[in-house]
Amino acid sequence: MKKILPLLVLLMVSGLSFAGKRADRLTNEWRYELECAGNGAQGTYLVKVWSYSKNSRVAYEQCSKNAVHGIIFKGYAGGNGCTPQRPLCSNPGAEQEYADFFKRFFADGGEYMKYVQVKAASRQDVKIKSEHKVGVVVSVAKDQLRKALEQAGVIRGLSTGF
Amino acid sequence: MKRILSLMFCAVLMATAAFGQAKKPTIMVVPSEAWCNQNGYMMSYDDMGTTLKLPDYRAALQNDMDLKLAIAKINDLMTDRGFPLKDLEATLQSIQRQQAEENMMSSKSGASMQENPIDRLRRVAKADIIIELSWDVKYQGPKATLTYIMRGLDSYSNKQIAGSSGASTPTMSAQVVVLLEEAVLANIDEFNNKLMAHFEDMFANGREVALDLRVWDDAGIDFEEEYNGEELSLLIDDWMAENTIQGRFSKLDGTETRIAYEQVRIPLNKPNGTAMDTEAFARQLSKYLKTVTSLPVKVVPRGLGSCMLIIGGK
Repeated sequence: MKKILPLLVLLMVSGLSFAGKRADRLTNEWRYELECAGNGAQGTYLVKVWSYSKNSRVAYEQCSKNAVHGIIFKGYAGGNGCTPQRPLCSNPGAEQEYADFFKRFFADGGEYMKYVQVKAASRQDVKIKSEHKVGVVVSVAKDQLRKALEQAGVIRGLSTGF
Repeated sequence: MKRILSLMFCAVLMATAAFGQAKKPTIMVVPSEAWCNQNGYMMSYDDMGTTLKLPDYRAALQNDMDLKLAIAKINDLMTDRGFPLKDLEATLQSIQRQQAEENMMSSKSGASMQENPIDRLRRVAKADIIIELSWDVKYQGPKATLTYIMRGLDSYSNKQIAGSSGASTPTMSAQVVVLLEEAVLANIDEFNNKLMAHFEDMFANGREVALDLRVWDDAGIDFEEEYNGEELSLLIDDWMAENTIQGRFSKLDGTETRIAYEQVRIPLNKPNGTAMDTEAFARQLSKYLKTVTSLPVKVVPRGLGSCMLIIGGK
């Protein structure tokens, strides 16, 4: 028993670190889909984000990060009563230009978490071959997010230069 | 010595902040003429036998709460973006109050204030960018759909610089005011993106303005007058090419008595770093014209984006 216990602990720790690495890899790939989920409250966008992973939990955890990334760099299409929205960042090279800022911003537990809220009971899990496609409805505080990016100098404010 | 140096550094920083910025255009939300006409907020007046109809903003604001809400919402959202707007209702009230005060005002000797017809004509609500708003509710059976148009118009070039439009999902229960608020919230970001693109273009290529050059009939010259073997109109074209950004301007009209330039791209700042507007640019041109013709030049500004120069007198 004494021999099995450390082995089990070792397996759990390595499993956790492997999941963390997989999450990091998925973050770097930014493989997700974003769609409008209705009209959000003032200053927010209500979106449904679909993330992919072999591990359902990892995919679910990536959803918040992906939603914020999507609002900043991708925007989303309209339809179903929604107005299409462009990304907050109109400069296509901004992610590389401000790589250090975004690395900190999207780190686990990073600043991105301040601007996203997962709507309870909205989780959907679809198994596609060996992968899980997990969809969650989240609310992104786009006005606050825009202000933070303006303050960081990543995007220009409407009155910048005047 | 260190304190003096740091004080000097602070002074330089403050001067850069104060002078290195362009003039901020004023923006105002107004209901569109079509909306005013549909809702009966028009006033008509007789212009030498022809009946002209104009939007009656005062009546619209006094009677339509939906309009007030839409304007307040847009003002609120733009303030959040760091761009507070000029309020139409407050501007109209201010014009009325100023007019009443000026009518009552007199000097100790009993003289009243001078006002020419141009001053009277110009006493209207104006802004550099007008956000024109219109909406309409269409019914299909019990379901209502709100269609919505928001256009940003540059007052001087008359170009549409931003716009957004759309229709709400058909509803049986929501009130017009709720649909309108939803439409504003859903479309304001797209509108602001386009406004932002316009400002970015302005920072990159200069402010687009218009200039109108005329000659008083007693000036004794016209634009075909020759100076050192060159016609005055050509000399002005050369000056414009040298002083606009990348020599960008269009000559809309050119006769012996009138030259009209549009799409004139002027720099946002003067060489000394202070903000440049159309009047400042026109004054530079007037100085040049004075040197060439030895005649005085009257400069008549028409807001931030348009100016008239009249050669031969003040």
